[in-house]
Amino acid sequence: MKKTIYHMELLNDTSMGLQVLDYLILSSGSDTRACEVLKKYASQGIVIKTVVIINYRERLLDSKYTDNIFSYKSYSSFNTKEIECDIKDPSSSLQGLLDIEFKPESIIGVDISYLTKPHLFFILKLLKQRFLIRKLIVFYTEPKTYLFTKGLFDTFKTSSGPLSISEIQGFSGQRERGAKTILIILLGFDGGLSKEINEDVSPNQTFVINGFPSYSPKFKDISLITNEKLVSDKNISVRYSRANSPFEIYNLLQEIKSLEKNVFINIAPLGTKPMALGACLFALHNPEVRIIYPLPDTYESKYTDLSWNTWQYVLPMN
Amino acid sequence: MNDLYNYSNPFSGVNAVQLDIDSILDYWCNPFMYDLYSEIKEADIYSDVMNIVFMGGRSTGKSMFLRYWSYPVQFKNAKNNNQKLSKSIADKNGIGFYFRIDGPILRSFQGKGISEETWSSIFIHYFELIIGREYFEAVNCLYEEGEIQDNEMNEIFLPKILALIGINNQISLQELIDDFDRRIREIDLYRGNVAFFKEPFKPEDRGFQSQMLSFGIPEIIISSLEVFHGKNIILLLDEFENFVNYQQTVINTLLRFSKPNIKFRLGMRLEGFRTYQMMADEDFIKEGREYRKVVFEEVINKNRGYHQFLIEICKKRLESIPLLKSKGFTDIQKILSDKEDLEQEAIEIARGQPDKIINFFNKKLSKVEISKIRSDNPLMEALNCLWLLRGVSIDTVQKSMNDYLNNVKSPDALKYSRDYVDKYKLSLLILTCSIYRKNKQYYSFNTFSFLSSGIVGHFIELCRRSFAIAGWGDNETLLNDGIISKEHQSKAARDFSLAEKQQISRIETYGGLIAKFVDNMGNLFRDFHLDIKIRYPETNQFAINIDSISDLQLKEAMKSAIKWSVIQRKPGMQRTAPSENLQDTYTLNRIFSPIFQISYRTRGGKSIRLSEKSLIMFMHDDKVDSSKYLNEEKKGLENKPKKPGDSLDLFSV
Repeated sequence: MKKTIYHMELLNDTSMGLQVLDYLILSSGSDTRACEVLKKYASQGIVIKTVVIINYRERLLDSKYTDNIFSYKSYSSFNTKEIECDIKDPSSSLQGLLDIEFKPESIIGVDISYLTKPHLFFILKLLKQRFLIRKLIVFYTEPKTYLFTKGLFDTFKTSSGPLSISEIQGFSGQRERGAKTILIILLGFDGGLSKEINEDVSPNQTFVINGFPSYSPKFKDISLITNEKLVSDKNISVRYSRANSPFEIYNLLQEIKSLEKNVFINIAPLGTKPMALGACLFALHNPEVRIIYPLPDTYESKYTDLSWNTWQYVLPMN
Repeated sequence: MNDLYNYSNPFSGVNAVQLDIDSILDYWCNPFMYDLYSEIKEADIYSDVMNIVFMGGRSTGKSMFLRYWSYPVQFKNAKNNNQKLSKSIADKNGIGFYFRIDGPILRSFQGKGISEETWSSIFIHYFELIIGREYFEAVNCLYEEGEIQDNEMNEIFLPKILALIGINNQISLQELIDDFDRRIREIDLYRGNVAFFKEPFKPEDRGFQSQMLSFGIPEIIISSLEVFHGKNIILLLDEFENFVNYQQTVINTLLRFSKPNIKFRLGMRLEGFRTYQMMADEDFIKEGREYRKVVFEEVINKNRGYHQFLIEICKKRLESIPLLKSKGFTDIQKILSDKEDLEQEAIEIARGQPDKIINFFNKKLSKVEISKIRSDNPLMEALNCLWLLRGVSIDTVQKSMNDYLNNVKSPDALKYSRDYVDKYKLSLLILTCSIYRKNKQYYSFNTFSFLSSGIVGHFIELCRRSFAIAGWGDNETLLNDGIISKEHQSKAARDFSLAEKQQISRIETYGGLIAKFVDNMGNLFRDFHLDIKIRYPETNQFAINIDSISDLQLKEAMKSAIKWSVIQRKPGMQRTAPSENLQDTYTLNRIFSPIFQISYRTRGGKSIRLSEKSLIMFMHDDKVDSSKYLNEEKKGLENKPKKPGDSLDLFSV
């Protein structure tokens, strides 16, 4: 049965959809997108009682006070709580978040634009499981462009250096004996990654979901071309879902799940953040699902540029 | 016409781990029939009293090999042959259990604020349960087939098993399997939630210590069930390199204490042991004592058995496509052509610009002189120029070539033949490509075999890409004539070469260092190939003693490069110069040859000698100055014979 979990809204320049928040959780970052939502709140004079900043230690190391990564400090009207944590270990933010003592009825916004996906998954599960949060408001600002360093088809990487393909903390899933292993890859541009994951998980069947319509028409083609080897494999099925809608992904995942009984679903959220958000919601509602992600040594400090649309999603967490 | 667009690539997506049992049997090619492994014979799989470690790079066929000997595949094979399952066990003298725990699961048993000691206990409990459940499933399968009697099961086997596990009430084997499922789920749940609660693991039932089930259950199986009397239990454990350090110590300990009838067959990458330590800190395992090693990946594939093995593997895949089977296009050697034609390739490159080679070597020759060294064959023309450059007179060059071409048995013709046919032909083509600023083409069955570097999966991927490109570019020739053009093959080889090179930086440990090393080494080899005097033709290997590297990071990076088959060690040790010590010699994986435009062949001869100091440069500098290495060799050559045809003793293959 499909779940209706919708509210999805494009925030325009006057940002009429913004509402008062008890908390806004966001990650600092050197791209303008990192503070786009904060900027909108400040310019509208709408209240956020506490802004929770997730600061990745690795990114702070070589940053000067004047770097863009600290641009959140310029919004001095907000009460701010900074949590320093390891980019590779989401659970390192646990104590900082537990100290906040969110209430189930708190109105919490999460700006996922610059949160890494493992941290995004971790925070959402924490809010649902330990704080019993009933509803979340999630913001996402699309990038105006992705940075392709040497050409469109071979060089896009959101991470740098070696990778370790791992389960995202809190999303180990459960495989029943004899279950058919299914891998669902939300396709990104980094073709090497999806191939690695497919080999590591070695599923009986793989679905790849391409973001379509994508932010820009060419993106859907780039992701297919860079993943050519995987897509041409025999046991691969290609599906499409809107790149900016977590809800479409959610429903598509639900549909794939209903195709067969006794399956062990693995999801690799390599595509856009809203697609990852949909996968996260799906996994929160289906705890037997495993989330696999290639944890890099470090992320590129900047792999997108400039802000485009900002979306607001209202998610029921139960 | 529709047929042309209605067939799938025969080389797409066959990963042994993903294959169902029927497909394993369909695609199985017995490597023992092709004499691929001199260290082992087929009977050793079940009967060798020593543990065996199968080492090889990704896609060398380890998983297919290990899975084939596992009981589900052997039982299915027996059924297909109307044979009783117990007969299969009797014939093989044992039964195999295949295990693969994927990397993400293994890596989840660490961190999150929990001590390694605690994780170790949890992992051992998990490992014992996983193995125990598999034993029970095999026994249950035989029981359901009526090959184990009720009294054997209920009066002898089960009571002993339940006592071992600590279950007091009488339950069936199926209920026991379900109980093990529950216990495994309990661990999965803990792994999933520990990051949010950071609490200790408290199983509902007892935890299991190492060996309790992995060795305890087989001992009961062998002693209690007639079908297993005197038989061996073989644990086929795949992808051992994915086990984290402490997990390997757990398995290492099992290797040491394995029982006479319970033996391990481990599959892993080269250098896949992260540690040789056992759970007791001061103890370690050793090759020859706890295990013996069989290497699946062999850089030198002079053995025709490897070629025949590839042909057979391809035949099975090609036959799986009805269209190709019906047309008889099932011989990969014919589809790709047997060998490349270097002369034809050179002629095509030089077409329309015949003077370029002579101009490149020597612009001062008169028209009469030029006419003496002219040839329709650009490679001979290049060799003639090379001889001139080395001080041979123009008349001797002309006579030698003519004698050779006219089959005159003169010493000049012999020298010419030796240089042209035996030593320089491929080097001359690579140099000619450079002069014309064209890419060398890499095509043919023979070339792909070399490029695959003994890794079956590489050969299959070269074929897959060739079929895919031909499918788009010239489907009709492929499906009407059963041929893939050399251009399409060559594009496939270049694309794959580039893809493999790009993957290097993704290697989990030291990927960045290895990527730089490959870049620098490949470019250095390239510079040797472009040496106008071809002093060291086809130089594509280096010598280093990895064990003596004092910098731990460099040493581990080199080991990681071996583990991922980025570099491959040649069997036996060699000297880089007469006065030097014997050293291990390595090649870059041949799959990188197209991207660096260097030779794919494995020959003896010149090795670049790498000291620890130079290794630092190769792994850290953006570009290593190759002139230093080329000039070093030049100096070394000053005392060497310079007459044409004189061997530089480079090719003592």
